[in-house]
Amino acid sequence: MSLPVAVVIIIAFVVVAGALTLAGFVWAVQSKQFSIKQLNEGAKQIFDDEEPIGMPQDMIFKKPSNGSSNHH
Amino acid sequence: MAVQTTTKEQFISFASDGAEDVSEKQVRVQIDDSVTSPVVLYFATGIGWLLFGSLAGLAAAIKFNLPDWLGGTPFLTFGRIRPVHLNTVMYGWASLAGAGMVVWLTGRLCRVAIQKTWALYVSAILWNIGVLFGVVSLLFGYNQGMEWLEFPRPAGGLIALGFLFFAYSIVSTFRKRQVEHLYVSLWYILASMLWFPILYTVANLGIYDGVTEAAMNWWFAHNALAVWFTPVGLAGAYYFIPKVIGRPIYSYYLGLLGFWAFALFYNWNGIHHLVGGPLPTWLVTVSIVASVMMFVPVMAVAVNHHLTTIGHFRMLKYSPTLRFVVFGSMSYTAVSLQGSIESLRSFSEVAHFTHYTIGHAHLGVYGFLSMILFGAVYYIMPRIAKWEWPYPKLIKLHFWMSATGIALYVVAMCIGGWIQGTMMNDPSLPFIASVNATKPYLWARSVGGTMMLIGHLVFAYQFVLIIYRSGPARYVPAWFEVRPTEVLTGETKTI
Repeated sequence: MSLPVAVVIIIAFVVVAGALTLAGFVWAVQSKQFSIKQLNEGAKQIFDDEEPIGMPQDMIFKKPSNGSSNHH
Repeated sequence: MAVQTTTKEQFISFASDGAEDVSEKQVRVQIDDSVTSPVVLYFATGIGWLLFGSLAGLAAAIKFNLPDWLGGTPFLTFGRIRPVHLNTVMYGWASLAGAGMVVWLTGRLCRVAIQKTWALYVSAILWNIGVLFGVVSLLFGYNQGMEWLEFPRPAGGLIALGFLFFAYSIVSTFRKRQVEHLYVSLWYILASMLWFPILYTVANLGIYDGVTEAAMNWWFAHNALAVWFTPVGLAGAYYFIPKVIGRPIYSYYLGLLGFWAFALFYNWNGIHHLVGGPLPTWLVTVSIVASVMMFVPVMAVAVNHHLTTIGHFRMLKYSPTLRFVVFGSMSYTAVSLQGSIESLRSFSEVAHFTHYTIGHAHLGVYGFLSMILFGAVYYIMPRIAKWEWPYPKLIKLHFWMSATGIALYVVAMCIGGWIQGTMMNDPSLPFIASVNATKPYLWARSVGGTMMLIGHLVFAYQFVLIIYRSGPARYVPAWFEVRPTEVLTGETKTI
């Protein structure tokens, strides 16, 4: 009978996936991923001194020092 | 036009212009250098499958207009070409390009060079062999007979193995991270590393039959979106929208709430594909409830992305990456809300088994995911190739071909599908009447598909140019238009 075997295997995998996800959540709480400090600062993590907040970022070349913006 | 070359040293010099402390830049360059070859390999092979899959898709679409076209050649019949299209764009293009983006993002977000890069090469090779083997098998008529799982099991095994090597490198990099907090994009990436191998393995066990097989089929097909394709797309959107604009995400709290609500509700959704089928009613009802509950994470994402962009819409005029990614993000909101409504029994009575579903699927995979992946490639490649995109006008052509093509496609399929469903439900009408009524919409589908294919060809051409650092050298970003000077120098924070 394939049905019971299939059901058992699916349940086993779902339990494993759920348990691992729950473990991830517990780890996140314990490592203070949801602390007020981290939540307040987390959004700024993708910025740094070189690519600061307030500066459009989709450029690899900053403005050349001679002020020219001509395409070569 | 004269062609100039730029050395890596010149690139670094330009990039650090005016900066006294170069440590952040050096870290970024090191990280980018650690991923250059594997990311290019993922992107290049992904784009190859995109072209092949688009051709197959267009051929399948034209067969609705000209049913006898290519009908005399067995491997070009609709029953073979259509699954070839689906599987090459999902497991070839979207998966491989998505993997390339995930590798690059993981390095950036963990602030460390990618670990175990050998595993990425092994992954890309196994993955491509798996897709190639699967496609050849489909063309010769070997098909498992389940949507999204048409590839023969050995091909699925190779893809699964490739994913495990890929996940090994990503998780190894995560373990070496130099950051304390995990940015919301990393949550989506890590979740997909955990969930997708389990999903794909369970689905390919081959121990199901009858109704169980149908349930497993749609549990898998919908969850492939839930645990791999959607997390990849959202990880990209959560990074590129705030990064390109230069403004933190509107509500970081909402971002994490959205992730955990996504983890809680999305994996229950698949069985709504079997509304009216021979499954226990409670099972379908649970799936419908979970589908409607998806409003929570979807609105969290929508509010976040759109309120981050608001006030900066003028940047869409300049930035290729932002234009593609914002289009993708808006499509995510639209397709998700559409999907929740589509799961309702009353709606399914009309839309189910019609072209409406095809329009919905394309809005998700193309309007949302592919557009974000295009934007990601436009952002990432100049950084790892140390060369800007040579022809911004071709990027603009790509955008408009893709955006207009998918818009035409989705609108035509949804309207045509709804008409088709209404007519099929009318017992006074012969079935052929519902077929004839869809003809104009099916032509619109083919036109939309042609436009998307043209966009892909343009995209692939520029990709080849940037790999070889060919075409005119560029010392300013490849924007659609030259921005005002005050924007370049950062004097204007909102434009």
